[in-house]
Amino acid sequence: MTTPDAAAAAERGLLEIRGLVKRFGGVTAVNALDMTVRAGDVHALIGPNGSGKTTTLNVISGLYRADGGSVAFDGHELAGRPAHAIAALGIGRTFQNIRLFGELSVLENVMIGRHVRTKTGFLGALFPGGATAREERATRDRARELLAFVRLDAARSQTARSLPYGDQRRVEIARALAAEPRLLLLDEPAAGMNPAETDALVVLLRRIRELGTTLLLIEHDMNLVMTVSDRITVLNFGQHIAEGGPAEVARNPDVITAYLGGTLDAA
Amino acid sequence: MNRRVLALIVLIVAVALIPAVVHSDYILTLCVTAGIYAIVVMGLGILLGFTGQMSLAQAAFFGIGAYTSGWLTTHLGWPVWPAMACAMAMSALVALAVGYPCLRLSGHYLALATIGFGIIAQLVLINWKDVTNGSDGMTGIPAPVIGPWTFEHYNSYFYIVLVAVLACAYVAWRIKTTRVGRALEAIRENEIAARATGIDATRYKIIAFVFAGAYAGLAGSLLAHTTKFLSPDSYSFDQSVVFLVMLIVGGSSSIGGAILGAVLLEFLPEVLRPLKSSYIMVYGAAVVVMIIFMPRGLVGLFESLRARWRRGAPPPLGAAAAAEAEAA
Amino acid sequence: MHFDPVANLQLLVSGLAIGSIYALVALGFVLIYNAVGVVNFAQGEFVMFPAYIAATFALPAVAVFGGVVHWQLPLIAVYLLVIVLMVGFGLLFNRIAYYPLRDRGWLPVVISTIGVSIFLRNLVQLTWGSQPLVLPPLFPVDTIAVGALHIRPQDLAIIGVTALLIAFQYVLFERTTLGKQMRATAQDRTTARLIGIRVGRIVAITFVYSALLGTVSGLLVAPLFTVTKEMGALIALKAFAASIVGGFGSIPGAIIGGLTIGVIETFGGFYVSSAYVDAIAFVILIGVLLVRPSGLFGERVAEKA
Repeated sequence: MTTPDAAAAAERGLLEIRGLVKRFGGVTAVNALDMTVRAGDVHALIGPNGSGKTTTLNVISGLYRADGGSVAFDGHELAGRPAHAIAALGIGRTFQNIRLFGELSVLENVMIGRHVRTKTGFLGALFPGGATAREERATRDRARELLAFVRLDAARSQTARSLPYGDQRRVEIARALAAEPRLLLLDEPAAGMNPAETDALVVLLRRIRELGTTLLLIEHDMNLVMTVSDRITVLNFGQHIAEGGPAEVARNPDVITAYLGGTLDAA
Repeated sequence: MNRRVLALIVLIVAVALIPAVVHSDYILTLCVTAGIYAIVVMGLGILLGFTGQMSLAQAAFFGIGAYTSGWLTTHLGWPVWPAMACAMAMSALVALAVGYPCLRLSGHYLALATIGFGIIAQLVLINWKDVTNGSDGMTGIPAPVIGPWTFEHYNSYFYIVLVAVLACAYVAWRIKTTRVGRALEAIRENEIAARATGIDATRYKIIAFVFAGAYAGLAGSLLAHTTKFLSPDSYSFDQSVVFLVMLIVGGSSSIGGAILGAVLLEFLPEVLRPLKSSYIMVYGAAVVVMIIFMPRGLVGLFESLRARWRRGAPPPLGAAAAAEAEAA
Repeated sequence: MHFDPVANLQLLVSGLAIGSIYALVALGFVLIYNAVGVVNFAQGEFVMFPAYIAATFALPAVAVFGGVVHWQLPLIAVYLLVIVLMVGFGLLFNRIAYYPLRDRGWLPVVISTIGVSIFLRNLVQLTWGSQPLVLPPLFPVDTIAVGALHIRPQDLAIIGVTALLIAFQYVLFERTTLGKQMRATAQDRTTARLIGIRVGRIVAITFVYSALLGTVSGLLVAPLFTVTKEMGALIALKAFAASIVGGFGSIPGAIIGGLTIGVIETFGGFYVSSAYVDAIAFVILIGVLLVRPSGLFGERVAEKA
């Protein structure tokens, strides 16, 4: 970007999606989507089932390849980059159907999250002591801190699989935070949680935001969305139908139609 | 932790005393072969146990190592040690060439491609007579020499194998307990999550495959310089299966399990002698039974028995939400 | 080399025949893969085992467990008997090798099918010994002359039966409720369960059907080759290669891939090298994996995120 206008640069989003298209066979899951996520925001992506939300997240994180359009993160074009490279750029994520390293301990899960921030390779592994040992200790300490941050330090030596559902979601968040992402993608973080767990999640999301991490979240729980979001983008049939603050979106007639009137009343 | 180190040292010393106590050549041969197989199986453990990728080509890499070492020493007159290093490098290189196209794809493809590769490799060993001497086999392979000592007999070769096993186990243990090993295990547990966490899964899988190849190559060379005779039937698909069974029985993600499985199954045919060559049938049944009832192998069984002995109270479940509410 | 159109046509016919066998076994792979997401490494034993059973009932004298049996039943009776036994075999296989592991991911199932495969191959050796058996030919003559061509009637039978089976499968999948349930299960098991399909039963039926495809290939191919414990393994490997060349998971891909590999292999064995004939399929496979990993008919190979 060579724009001399500093104000315009500040306006530029951390994540800029332009004309994104993703097709599966004959079905267009995401159709010419435009969307901007501003740095520091909690940005919610909502819409009815099958509206292309998870597909959008999968394209951003590099698990799917877009069929058209561009996704830029902090000025870097993401198209064509593999998922691991996108993670290294500073985009972390969680999954709708939890994807933990089930047989490994909770602590190991979070330590693996440090992968992009650490260096030890095959050769380094062979020589104990020195840099390898220091890095190993630092990784463990940082992982413990993050587990304390999500209130799960007591469970660190259990296998991830053995935790209750709500706690597994928190381990996923800690694992993603371990990479120190600037943008964290959360795919239905409250799915399957009981009301107490959801309330705790709201608190956790606010604390993550205070760390300076930008959040892009997909969520069906409208109460949660309306409570935590700074901005909301509404998708329907893979297209952007509304965007704005929570109150503004809740009043938008297109949105109300898309949700058949009912769901948003909860807000 | 210190008690475990002590136990390990005692175990190694005890094993090192075997040639002093056991005078049966036959038993010593079995020990040496078991050690050599343990190296192959540990390599497979890095690939299958740590990384969750299936290979049925371990016998082929084993054969490549054996024949490379045999050819370099008999045809070119190389000393044994550089030939051994070359054998290891050759198997690793071939593994890289095979792994590169196949590991970009998901697991089944690798399993199949490795079977196919194993068949091709064995056909080459049989038909490339200029180098391998075909089905007649390669003879006259020399024993290793250090200074005045020639490691001709099993009771001295035992120590070469022991050192190699320990070195390989050490490398595997270092890999397992550091960043690289965690990345491999992440790929095994959930490849998509691993990639989204920043792990270059393809690269790590290829490296794990190369390690498996290098281990098998080293073991093949060790075999060549002790049996001094090579024939293509020792590197068949069935042999790859035997390596797989050794790993599954011992415990696939455990280094001790790999060694235990190799030793156990090398001595087991003695027990199953009445079944003659059909003892492999028992292996087949054992694999199915183990994978259904004891997926973590014998080592996993020991571990869970021990955990049952000294189980402390686990932390209360679902505590995080409560802690969060309290803090807020 | 002098180009001989007659010899080439003869090669083409035998290539298509062996290719048909690969296609049938490849179909077995693909159906099981689509139903349960796992490659069955014992598919070759689905070919070899029925050939042994058939030989036992059909031959004048067969050594079994050291004794000798003299059943020599008529071929039709033998075929029916083998088919009935193999239905039971398919059910048993599903119950032992797949069902207990159905929730544990693909790797344990693959390992257990490998275990079953080793078990069966050596069980066969223990039961029938290591002497190969030879099934009597279906036809009284070895070759028939069509103009200048000399064609093996067994080859024509293989091609014909394969074509019939493929047509049968098409009707089964497109026209019957059972076939539609099988397709729905293959596409999405969770949804299939939600709309009331008894997925466990469909999976069992898929294993049985796949075992029968193997049985037919085994019975067809046995008169051409000898019956040995290894006969199925190599056929299955090449069939698997064929299904990848065609595009894994694709039914037309399995058929075209099988025929392609059969034909190339037959020509390659004749013109290039007979010592390496068994390597040809894998060279094609590795080439395809390098150039077009999705195969001829496949979607891009990627796991669902």
